[in-house]
Amino acid sequence: MKTAWAWMLLVPPLAVTLLFFVAPVVYLFWVSLHAPSQSELYGHALTLQNYTAVLTDSFYLRIIERTLGVAATILAICLLIGYPVAYFIALQPPRRRMLVLLMLLFPLMVSNVVRAYGWVAILGRRGVVNTSLRDLGLIDAPLDLLYSTQAVVIALMTILLPYMVISIANTLSALDRRYEEAAQALGAGPVRTFLHVTLPLSTPGVATGMLLVFLLTLSAYVTITLLGGPRSKLLVSMVYDSVSAFQWPRAAALAFILLALALLVTVVILAVLRPRRVQGTG
Amino acid sequence: MHAHRLGRALRGSATTIAFALIVIPIAIVVVTAFSPLDYFEFPPRSLSLRWFFEFFRLENMRSAFLLSLELAVLAATLATVLGTAGALFIARRRGVLAELLQSLFLAPLVFPTIILGVALLLLYKTIGMPVFLGLLLAHCIVGLPYGFRTVLGSAQALDPALEEAGQSLGAGPVRTLFLVTLPLIWQGVLSGWLFAFIVSFGELNTALFLTGPGITTLPIEIFSYLQFQGSQLVIAAASTLQIALIIVMVAAIERIVGIGRIIRAR
Repeated sequence: MKTAWAWMLLVPPLAVTLLFFVAPVVYLFWVSLHAPSQSELYGHALTLQNYTAVLTDSFYLRIIERTLGVAATILAICLLIGYPVAYFIALQPPRRRMLVLLMLLFPLMVSNVVRAYGWVAILGRRGVVNTSLRDLGLIDAPLDLLYSTQAVVIALMTILLPYMVISIANTLSALDRRYEEAAQALGAGPVRTFLHVTLPLSTPGVATGMLLVFLLTLSAYVTITLLGGPRSKLLVSMVYDSVSAFQWPRAAALAFILLALALLVTVVILAVLRPRRVQGTG
Repeated sequence: MHAHRLGRALRGSATTIAFALIVIPIAIVVVTAFSPLDYFEFPPRSLSLRWFFEFFRLENMRSAFLLSLELAVLAATLATVLGTAGALFIARRRGVLAELLQSLFLAPLVFPTIILGVALLLLYKTIGMPVFLGLLLAHCIVGLPYGFRTVLGSAQALDPALEEAGQSLGAGPVRTLFLVTLPLIWQGVLSGWLFAFIVSFGELNTALFLTGPGITTLPIEIFSYLQFQGSQLVIAAASTLQIALIIVMVAAIERIVGIGRIIRAR
């Protein structure tokens, strides 16, 4: 009786997740293995042609390369700015630490389209930067700051930075301060203590932050489109464009190439940082 | 000693830069929403509410706002009910099945939502799903991890003796759930609901594919305005309304469960 009731609790969430999360993704994979069709969503013949066509086309390869380049730049800047900020937060007394974390969490709740619009308002032809420079008499014609890879990097980096900071700050605040004190007592200076004790102990948070930032960069279609324009497209833009052109098998294959990229980089990040080798909450 | 001071300066300046980069774009949007002019000017010389009136005068904006609200309420409710059921099932279990189910319910958190959007669009096209129901289910999947995780935390912190006491006093499993378990974990359930609401209200990647003509959410309406009609200031008003609603929600979570819960829920 009791077990029957417990299983009744499980059925609704499991059914919805299987039907509207697992099944559509499996179906998408199935579609990616079929030839395109003029009259239907996809043709009958099974083929790997959608994948080989993308992976042998220098146009797509350049886009994949650009996607990885943009993601790597965003990760590097997020880590470089985020780590000291996380450290700062971890050193605050608990009550103030909560408040600062809340201030970082709030922007994450604002829709990305609003935050991207903020950057359009700053970098646009009639944006804050251009009007200020013109008012100061430094430029005559507005600079083209928008619609570039750099604009995408700046906007996405700031949009995703809180994830990195919060992940690392959580690990650093849970860290037992006595490890650092022990290192210092044994004669290590602040720099050595940081490099050999604090940094290695914080890898779980670094790994979590890097994974979140990377995975969200891959999907950030709206930010990439608003800031990058038609000339700075990334892999996710190709998925969207194929859908708009009703090339379903092509769109499906591109989506799974994106997913493969996500898994590959996840494995690399976890292999390099090996967050499980130390105890800590990520 | 020198390295200590350097470290402190580094942390301080990084924090200042980070907060400036994060907050300034949002602040600029909010300030320009109150501009009386037709075009973008920062900072504005005087303030007016004209773009907010314009927002509610525009039929497509108003209906997108209402649809987003409706969708967020329904999707958050569905996600929280499902998440609570799943969390209660898993809370007292160990082993492979519990681990597997937990990963499954949390997976939408890290799964690239753009792929989920394309996948659902294809599925919906194949089975002929109505637009609103399709959007609702997509938003529910995206919100599910939030409802699930906060409730799981509360349920695992619950003393099992309390539920056993209810059962030994003769309450059946359904009565125990409604009279003992839910009253004890309602804070987790409610904050899960509020999180799922916030996530649904700002959702972009699945809605991008699943909105149809006449059925558009506010974030997608803002996006298509920015793409095809340039940055008109009514967009700033729409964005500011979005932000205002989130402030109300966060204040509600803070009143009900305290900010500690907000931090831990992420």
